[in-house]
Amino acid sequence: MRHLHKGVSFAIGLAVLGASLTACGGGSSGSSGDGRIELSIGTFTEFGYEDLITEYERLHPNITITHHKTGEGGPYHQNLITKLAAGNGLEDVVAVEEGHFSDIIDKSSKFNDLTEIGPADVTADRWLDWKYEAGRDSDGRLIGYGTDIGPLAMCYRRDLLEAAGLPSDPEGVKSLFATWESYFAAGDAYVAGSGGGAWFDASSQLFNSMVNQLDIGYLDRDDNLTIESNPGIKAAWDRITGAIQRGQSATLVAFGNEWKTGFQQGSFATTVCPSWMLGVVEENAGPANAGKWAVTDAFPNGGGNWGGSYLTVPKQSAHPKEAAEFAAWLTAPEQQLKAFQARGNFPSQQQALTSPQLLEQTEPYFGDTKVGELYAEQARKVTRAQYKGPGDGQIQENVTMPALQSVEQGTSPGEAWQRVVDEAKRVVK
Amino acid sequence: MTTLAEKPARQDAPGGPARPTLRQRLSRWDVKFSPYVYIAPFFVVFGLTGLFPLLYTAYVSLFDWEIGDDDPSFVGLENFVTLFGDPQFWNAVVNTISIFLLSSVPQVIIAVLLAALLSLRLRFPAGWRVGVLLPYSASLVALGIIFANLFGPRYGLINATLETLGLDRVEWQANRFAGHLAIATMVNWRWTGYNALIVLAAMQALSRDVYEAAVVDGAGAVRRFFSITLPMLRPTLIFVVITSTIGGLQIFTEPKLFDAMPGSNNGGSQHQFQTLTLYLYKSAFEGFDLGYASAIAWVLFLLIVLIALANFLITRRIAATTGLKR
Amino acid sequence: MTLGLPLRRRRNGSRFFVYATLIAFVAGSLFPFYWSFLVASRDTGMLSDHLPPLLPGGNFWSNAARVFDAVPFWKALGNSLVVSGTVTLTTVLFSALAGFAFAKMRFRGSNGLFVFIVVTLAVPTQLGVIPLFIMMSDLGWAGHLQAVIVPNLVTAFGVFWMRQYIVDAVPYELIEAARVDGCSVFGTFVHVCLPAIRPAAAVLAMFTFMMSWNDFLWPLIVLDAGNPTVQVALEKLQSGHYVDYSLVLAGTTLATIPILIVFLLLGRQIVAGIMQGAVKG
Repeated sequence: MRHLHKGVSFAIGLAVLGASLTACGGGSSGSSGDGRIELSIGTFTEFGYEDLITEYERLHPNITITHHKTGEGGPYHQNLITKLAAGNGLEDVVAVEEGHFSDIIDKSSKFNDLTEIGPADVTADRWLDWKYEAGRDSDGRLIGYGTDIGPLAMCYRRDLLEAAGLPSDPEGVKSLFATWESYFAAGDAYVAGSGGGAWFDASSQLFNSMVNQLDIGYLDRDDNLTIESNPGIKAAWDRITGAIQRGQSATLVAFGNEWKTGFQQGSFATTVCPSWMLGVVEENAGPANAGKWAVTDAFPNGGGNWGGSYLTVPKQSAHPKEAAEFAAWLTAPEQQLKAFQARGNFPSQQQALTSPQLLEQTEPYFGDTKVGELYAEQARKVTRAQYKGPGDGQIQENVTMPALQSVEQGTSPGEAWQRVVDEAKRVVK
Repeated sequence: MTTLAEKPARQDAPGGPARPTLRQRLSRWDVKFSPYVYIAPFFVVFGLTGLFPLLYTAYVSLFDWEIGDDDPSFVGLENFVTLFGDPQFWNAVVNTISIFLLSSVPQVIIAVLLAALLSLRLRFPAGWRVGVLLPYSASLVALGIIFANLFGPRYGLINATLETLGLDRVEWQANRFAGHLAIATMVNWRWTGYNALIVLAAMQALSRDVYEAAVVDGAGAVRRFFSITLPMLRPTLIFVVITSTIGGLQIFTEPKLFDAMPGSNNGGSQHQFQTLTLYLYKSAFEGFDLGYASAIAWVLFLLIVLIALANFLITRRIAATTGLKR
Repeated sequence: MTLGLPLRRRRNGSRFFVYATLIAFVAGSLFPFYWSFLVASRDTGMLSDHLPPLLPGGNFWSNAARVFDAVPFWKALGNSLVVSGTVTLTTVLFSALAGFAFAKMRFRGSNGLFVFIVVTLAVPTQLGVIPLFIMMSDLGWAGHLQAVIVPNLVTAFGVFWMRQYIVDAVPYELIEAARVDGCSVFGTFVHVCLPAIRPAAAVLAMFTFMMSWNDFLWPLIVLDAGNPTVQVALEKLQSGHYVDYSLVLAGTTLATIPILIVFLLLGRQIVAGIMQGAVKG
């Protein structure tokens, strides 16, 4: 029995030890009298900032930077929301993804206006104008500095198109992918010519691309829901559900488990390819399919964007000016180029898009296509930033995407559309 | 029923009762105050870290409170009223109860049987015990991939097997009941060993005397199990039933992992397997509607208390009538 | 110690049945671990192979080494050990104390308080991160390990479990015997109760350790970048649009090893307490 007594005292001792070990380690209040400043930056997935942060610290010896990195976007944004709700705990510089940005814009009062606290020489002409515009809230305050973008191109399986009797050379596919009508018509031809093969992997990406190209999206500038009155959205819906019902969809869920297998098995011929998707295609399809996938700048109706992020400075920050300066430096063309070289995040800065390193970049997996040049062109084809009101990201991810999935699973488009309308209304209410 | 009482007073010399000595008084205080000291650690910790979140969610549920809102407006019970008229809420209730029944009922039964097997004299007993508990420690990443590979509608192993056997594929994602079944399988895989160990630990404490008497009387193993062991395990069975009821109605991780869309809180394209905890999570962290989410949390709480109470009463009766009355 | 007849007296058929069932069950339990190890020892491409390989490849150690390079794994392991170890010890101890009081002592309000404790289990915890974070920031604990330890020092589950167990496992006769011998209440607790609840304590310790070890969301929210626990550190391996599962699963396999050790150590404790035979009739 003696050892039980020891066990008890050990437990208490351990708890005290643990508490004291962790208690010392000092309250980092962010700055002390000698001018040392501590900044923190929060990012998710891979921004390519690791070396850049070290460089910035070298350039500014009085600043130490803590990089709070989370692997996946989901937990990251949940953490962000929790700390927004709690009123503290956010980093000085907070990265926000495009899909969540509309919600942040809705709470823009919690974030600093970067035109006020940022360096004066950082102006709109640094970025592509649609990227810059999308970073502003409805009062014109700049909430985020643009980091990277995901200009859209179309990826296709050369061999599968050929086998189905469709043109597969770069010139030939231009006519196939020129407009949405021609894209889906080519899809019908593919289904027929390949004996039932699927034209595309998942319907939601195509639908999102179509909707993003419209002048007005799910919400108009007054934050009214347009879903019932917007002819463009309904037309896109009819187009995509028609294609689904004609067998063009492989009914896979993007980034889901079976989607990867779909690449391996070649169960679809085309997929929407933003710049960051190239690496994904390569890894998913594997070495066995090297050279079979190609990417073309012919994208229906010109171009579009999927993805990309912004760096914001919350009002919670104790050092807004320094934080904004840091964020501005990170999003300068030179730095973004370095991030691009480290991790492939496609720059949104005008100067970066004309740099030789970017334009010379090729992708061996895709037949040595000059992808840097291709995507730089695609980025310029985006003419305007569609206004994304509060709830836009939610509608895209949690309303239309599951609704399209249900159509792929057999629900009638009419029924699914009613669902879309009802749920969109609930999101916005 | 006796309790920890004070020590019997010392026998006195004839001439009348002795006055309580200091030792006896200390002993009385020991008995009187010890319980409160012993339960204090729990209530101190709870008071510090458990009470505030409870009160906070109760408070928030009475407001139209959006996350980040600096000035939420008091709406009283309006969130609850909206909730009862919300078809997605009722959909989630049905899903929750369905998945709960499909998982907890077989789970408890199998856990008890498994514990019975584990209580026999086996070679390398520690290994078996650890072996059945391991699923609970599996990483969610691995779990997600494995079950997606099993239950994938297009390329999954189960559907492939069904096809080779000449049967129809099952729409694990699209079909509501199939989805519930798949999720219940995930839950059972993870939690059965856990419950089995609880029952096993309790079995170890049972007195052998009654048992051996039954053996001498000629009772067979199965009969012994149902007539003697089970009734003696009543407190533990009540525990297992209540905790698996509570856990089963709060299922969150498995339906979230099961959704083909990674990270989704939708519970399927038509919310066919969205449980109440998923719905509440989605309302808070996607819908930013903290007030509504808190209301869902409290309604779920009430539902759990009611069902757990019912299960408690049922278990008490069953355990009482299967054998010796206590 | 077992309950029933020793197996050797049974017919060989039922012995076979018992082992066959157990093997099937444990095989089903172990399969995901073996599978994780398989992927970790090969490469991620294996995941989509039509006929997955059954034997491990040779990459495990190189993948494991990459884990150590990619994240501060040793630090995370250390933090997790401190957190989970502390939480396990305190939970078992405090739950036993409270359980003993509820099971064997009569005091004003005991029923009401006990029901209250059980009822708190029914409250969903998903929203708790927000108020808890508010509290931890106010206390100045955000970023430190105590923010992860203190809320978990003792659980309602533990108290409930211990009380149910002690009700039957600790006979009054023994308690009275100890009291008559002059034991204080605490002495009774230490000398009579604790030895009797070894299996229950072992099980509770296993569960608590595991739950604490696998806790992800709260440590992610409240701890600092430089001070992670194991699950938070591992999650960083899942970054990028394309996840290198062989790396991730190498990490999770490594993280499971301490759990296995704890299990094996505690698993031996789930044997009959020494109370059996001590009570005559």
